[in-house]
Amino acid sequence: MKMEDFENDNQLGVGSEEEESDISDGELQEAFSKGLLKPGLNIPLQEAKKKANNVAGLKQCLADFRRNLPWVERLDLTNGPVADIVAKADGKTSLEDRGEINAEDDFQREMHFYRQAQAAVLEAMPRLQMLKLPTKRPEDYFAEMAKSDQHMQKIRKKLMMKQVAMEKSEKAKKLREQRKYGKKVQTEVLQKRQKEKKAMMTAVKKYQKGMSDKLDFLDGDKDKGKKALDKAAAKKAPSAKRKYKDQKFGFGGKKRGSKWNTKESHDDVSGFRAKVAHGKGGKKFGKGGKNIPNKRPGKNARRKMKSRS
Amino acid sequence: MSPFKRKRAGGSRGTNASKKVRFIGSVNENTSEDEQKQENECSIPAPVSKGKWKNKERVLVFSSRGINFRTRHLMQDLRTMMPHSKADSKMDRKDKLFVINEVCEIKNCNKCIFFEAKKKEDLYMWISNVPHGPSAKFLVQNVHTLAELKMTGNCLKGSRPLLSFDPKFDKEPHYALLKELFIQIFSTPQYHPKSQPFVDHIFTFTIADNRIWFRNYQIIEEDAALVEIGPRFVLNLIKLFQGSFGGPTLYENPHFQSPNMHRRLIRLATAGKLREKQMVKELQKVRRLEEKQPVTRDVTDEVFATPAEEKPDEIELEAPPPKSAKKKEFKRKRMQRLRMR
Repeated sequence: MKMEDFENDNQLGVGSEEEESDISDGELQEAFSKGLLKPGLNIPLQEAKKKANNVAGLKQCLADFRRNLPWVERLDLTNGPVADIVAKADGKTSLEDRGEINAEDDFQREMHFYRQAQAAVLEAMPRLQMLKLPTKRPEDYFAEMAKSDQHMQKIRKKLMMKQVAMEKSEKAKKLREQRKYGKKVQTEVLQKRQKEKKAMMTAVKKYQKGMSDKLDFLDGDKDKGKKALDKAAAKKAPSAKRKYKDQKFGFGGKKRGSKWNTKESHDDVSGFRAKVAHGKGGKKFGKGGKNIPNKRPGKNARRKMKSRS
Repeated sequence: MSPFKRKRAGGSRGTNASKKVRFIGSVNENTSEDEQKQENECSIPAPVSKGKWKNKERVLVFSSRGINFRTRHLMQDLRTMMPHSKADSKMDRKDKLFVINEVCEIKNCNKCIFFEAKKKEDLYMWISNVPHGPSAKFLVQNVHTLAELKMTGNCLKGSRPLLSFDPKFDKEPHYALLKELFIQIFSTPQYHPKSQPFVDHIFTFTIADNRIWFRNYQIIEEDAALVEIGPRFVLNLIKLFQGSFGGPTLYENPHFQSPNMHRRLIRLATAGKLREKQMVKELQKVRRLEEKQPVTRDVTDEVFATPAEEKPDEIELEAPPPKSAKKKEFKRKRMQRLRMR
């Protein structure tokens, strides 16, 4: 009987506990007959390797190793974090949060570290001041820093760039919003105007065609109504002269095929004026009668006039 | 005057060529200027040489071969942060670990931080009190160095740090031992010749998720406004030994899983998933080839059988009568009618 080690032990449910895998077959048979072994596949469970935890040894080592230096040399503090005001305000503090830090939640974890450091600083400041250890660096104290000035410039530049980029994106967003809004407003206004115009035109046309004799459309907008009325009046009755001229010259100037020597045009005698043809309609041409206001009479007439007067 | 000068020369020997002129402590003119100013905490402190450097701690910080750039930078950052540290060349991996004790003795150091890189992926850190004291081995993860642009703080090179520990460090004996080790290694001795007399940054050690998280903050304001300087890393304790780089094991971390094991488990998990998929596919194939029995009786036939009488079928021979068309009046007319009533 071979005992096989399966990787997923817990998939197969039946496993009786066996201390060692090198129990001989004879012993196994005995155990089986006694009823200690259950049917099914028996897998030897290995006891978890015991991890060393020599508490006494640790304490001894610590006692030997500890150097009881004055606090000034060590500057160490043990403290929990400062109370989290923000979380309390939200009402989110739970025992779990207070006890265990969730290592996966980056922001919470880093805030925990930050608050721990803060608590330490707040505790340490008065002690340092009592011991006359300075914490503030005076402005004229120049010394080498852990990061070079060049590096700090790089950092500053990067921060600035980030800020500028953010501002730009904010501006662009706002502009886009504005444009959208403006476009909306513009279309609305145009539509409104077109609607009004349409309504006005239909009302005017109705009046023109005589379908309605009410001048209601004037009430909406008085000035606009007047203008429309004038226009309508003008368009309403173009004079005969205008009509003739329109017919002859209108709609694109001289028409091309307006003169044809066809049967119809030959038979068409509408343009014939008898008096003009016989030369007797002279009133229109030249000076008919006494058209000329200041015509000087002839010599004879003048002598007669003279003798008379 | 001459001892003062000597101290200054001794101080600048170890540091790299600095671009700014360095005035350690005060020249006499400055103090008089300050006395003329208002007396507040802005007074320049006495030069470091005035005090006696008693606490002789020296830490040797070095590494084995095969480290990558991040580890190298981390090491350099630690040396920057700790003025009481010394550097050494890389150690061959062939040599056994207790050779380190001899190296430390040669360099006259009584503490050691040793970085070991394995497989170009995993970084282990040993810290030890060299002659006989305890030592610990850690797995280092999540390393961020000083040079990262997100770490915007800065501090004096060689200024003394405040150390802040989680209260959990006092609860377990192994953590207490580690706390003592950290204190002795990371705190800069007072009046160390390379140190600056100000206290302007703080190291924090916190325990979360059975690991030790290290952070370094700059103290900007007295009201505890902080900015991170870096570096930052996470230590996962593996073992604590009684001797330096050897000796009986005092403590073994039960929560520690070697990175190899971790990677292996991930691979096994993906392999297991694949295997399961394949098994399912094969089962489906087998089932498809099985003989299927025809089902004669539909089990769901009786679901809609309601126990009601059957009606006889009626056949309509005549067309149904037409519906009277009900004409509904317009609303106007309706309203009129209503009003007239």
